[in-house]
Amino acid sequence: MKVASTEVDGRKVFSVSSFNQGIALWLERLPTVWVEGEVTELRRQERWTTVFLTLKDPENGACLAVQMPRGQFDALRLELADGERIHVYGRPELYARRGEFHLRALTIERFGLGAHLAALERLKKTLALEGVFASERKRPLPRIPRLIGLVTGNDAAAKRDVLTAISSRFPPANVLVAETYVQGHRAARAVEDAMAELCARGVDVLIIARGGGSFDDLLAFSDERLVRAVSACPVPVVSAIGHEQDVSLVDLAADVRASTPSSAGRLVVPDQAELRAWLERTRLGLQRSATRMCERRAESLARTRERLGQAPVRELDRRRTRLEAIRAQLRALSPSATVERGYAIVRAGDGLVREPPPVGTALTVEVAGGAFSAHAG
Amino acid sequence: MNEPSFEEDQAELEAIVERLERGEVELEELARLWERGERLCRRLAAELTATQGRIEELARELDAEAPEPRR
Repeated sequence: MKVASTEVDGRKVFSVSSFNQGIALWLERLPTVWVEGEVTELRRQERWTTVFLTLKDPENGACLAVQMPRGQFDALRLELADGERIHVYGRPELYARRGEFHLRALTIERFGLGAHLAALERLKKTLALEGVFASERKRPLPRIPRLIGLVTGNDAAAKRDVLTAISSRFPPANVLVAETYVQGHRAARAVEDAMAELCARGVDVLIIARGGGSFDDLLAFSDERLVRAVSACPVPVVSAIGHEQDVSLVDLAADVRASTPSSAGRLVVPDQAELRAWLERTRLGLQRSATRMCERRAESLARTRERLGQAPVRELDRRRTRLEAIRAQLRALSPSATVERGYAIVRAGDGLVREPPPVGTALTVEVAGGAFSAHAG
Repeated sequence: MNEPSFEEDQAELEAIVERLERGEVELEELARLWERGERLCRRLAAELTATQGRIEELARELDAEAPEPRR
């Protein structure tokens, strides 16, 4: 097939599409080969007909885009994860519309765990054993931070999301931003330095925010020294790195992991409106409980007063009752009570008769009903 | 000498009531203790009313003072 060109001012000129078409034709003549590399950025979705991934050279980071029809990919049942090393059998192909070249995979074979992931997994285990990720080490965030430190890239999106979330929730918040590298080989040290600087300037909470990126882009956030710096940071750290499904070691070491930069912003400040409402509720509660305390004391005082009023009355009653009892006792002991029971008092003149008197002695006999005269017989 | 506090007055009042209720007092003491108790009651009630009034007054003052802080 011939690729069309035109003559312009004596030069042979190709249109973009015919140039791409030419390259595509040329690529098609290349042989089918095996390529070895690490899987990164594996993108597979049910509604897509093609699975995409990037094959990375572990030696120098060179990358190669790979595509495979989803049906074929699924039939292999590889369940690949980012970082795994694979062999891809395929041939180069050009996506003519965009002039982008990729490897069209015919088959894929697993070649053992990717070096990066394995190393990362080892580091993760070591740090976990040391307790760097332990939940007991997580510190609570300040309720109302004085000064918030934000370490972020200068790409704006993550930074803007954090700042917007903070200022809409708590307008009076103070934020100190340190823009720094957030990917590449300098990123880990740069983030560490930025953290130290913000801490030195007196922040009382730190946010480390970075937008989404490939496995490699986020690798800096699993750097051992940086992870240790986060765990040793003098103030609590909130991390929001990559998308929710990418978990870096910094995320694990941070005191709080936010799913997005916006949510990190919302986490570090209280909601001002909520705070006001709480304050108002508390104020009312305070007044109510002070009043209630007064009322409770007044009630208890009223009860005591009632007891005070009753005590002397009861005491007097008690004494009166006792007096009655004594009087009854006294009465029981008087002679008239004995006469009441049928005994008689016999007198001769003024004297009581205790011995039988001489016959004919005039006597007075006193019984319950009255007295009568008699003579001794 | 310091004025006795509300709590001190209250404790004295309660001690008086308990003594009266146990009935361990001389007859002349009865009237004297009751009078002392009644005086304490009035003082305590007056103090409570004053405190409650002060709370309500302060709440009104504060309400009038600063309705909204700066935004």
